[in-house]
Amino acid sequence: MPDPNADVVATSDTPHADEGKYVYCIIKTPEERDFGPIGIGEGGNRVYTVHYGDLAAVVSDTPIRIYDPTRENVLAHELVNETVMREFTVIPMSFGTIFRTKDDIYELLKSTYRAFDDVLEKMRDKIEFGLKVLWDREKVIGRLEAEDEEIRRLKDEITSNAQSSTYFARMQLGRLIEGALENTATGYVMDIHESLKPVAVASRSNKPIGDRMIMNAAYLVERSREHDFDEAVKALSRKYEDTLSFKYTGPWPPYNFVNIKLRLERADG
Amino acid sequence: MGLLKHLLFWPVTGPKFLIDFSLDKVNGVVRDELTDDTPVKAELLELQMQLELGDIDEAVYLAREAELMRRLREIREWREKLGMGVAGGPVRVARTGRE
Repeated sequence: MPDPNADVVATSDTPHADEGKYVYCIIKTPEERDFGPIGIGEGGNRVYTVHYGDLAAVVSDTPIRIYDPTRENVLAHELVNETVMREFTVIPMSFGTIFRTKDDIYELLKSTYRAFDDVLEKMRDKIEFGLKVLWDREKVIGRLEAEDEEIRRLKDEITSNAQSSTYFARMQLGRLIEGALENTATGYVMDIHESLKPVAVASRSNKPIGDRMIMNAAYLVERSREHDFDEAVKALSRKYEDTLSFKYTGPWPPYNFVNIKLRLERADG
Repeated sequence: MGLLKHLLFWPVTGPKFLIDFSLDKVNGVVRDELTDDTPVKAELLELQMQLELGDIDEAVYLAREAELMRRLREIREWREKLGMGVAGGPVRVARTGRE
């Protein structure tokens, strides 16, 4: 059947000049797959696999563009990885990675085959969980002031001699409280970490975000031990329910545990 | 002649030399500020955290996110102008320096 648009396509020099492939992750499967119309961007593009041997890149078509790391876009990227993860071990790609053509993707898979294959084997049946721990700083300070002998003494001194209390005494109190806060936080973090270590394969601590967070960690867990890990986190949040709040997320692809340095360069035109 | 020239033109060359020198310094600092996206990314993480914790609502989040995206785009433009690497956009396996 003649295609009414065939002429247009045929006469265009570069029919797909602005079409690229957004790459979400790398998986191991010889079988072509279609993950549905869940791709990043406005169109709801089909997410499918591009193969080289038994490795595959999970991609969707996209105009060549720079995706801003908005929450919406990042969630779209993550949604695809979560979907693929239900069936496969994945090596996640960085947000916003776009190749121009299938050939460029073959080249990626071919030139990085060993590293991908090796890491996929190491990450097989492992998933990542995120654990952020926050505290109410003021509440902890209140408790320190009530419980810590030295802090209480200094504070009483300052309040009873409001007139004569020196700048120096206040400074000293501030420093004491800071130090005590730091020790308390370290104590909590160590206890939490020690409780989770036995049920995890590996962990990584990231920089806390904002001033209420005392811990921002990622744990790599065997799929078969997901339940044990859950239970351990639940037990901790019960133990510290008065003091700390736990933000527990996942399962994620192993974002924090895969670090393959890809030698990529810009492909302008 | 050389000395004389300097003496004659000192009021012009002297300050100009000083200005060039300080402009260079300023350029260095401003340049870093214009091309470093780490503070913006840190702000973005903090903003997302605030949304997740319910400290701000979706509307506030979106407004502030748009502002941060604008700053990220500006930084990207400066990096491009100054010939520095930028994240995003089409890539391929590096062809330079391979075996």
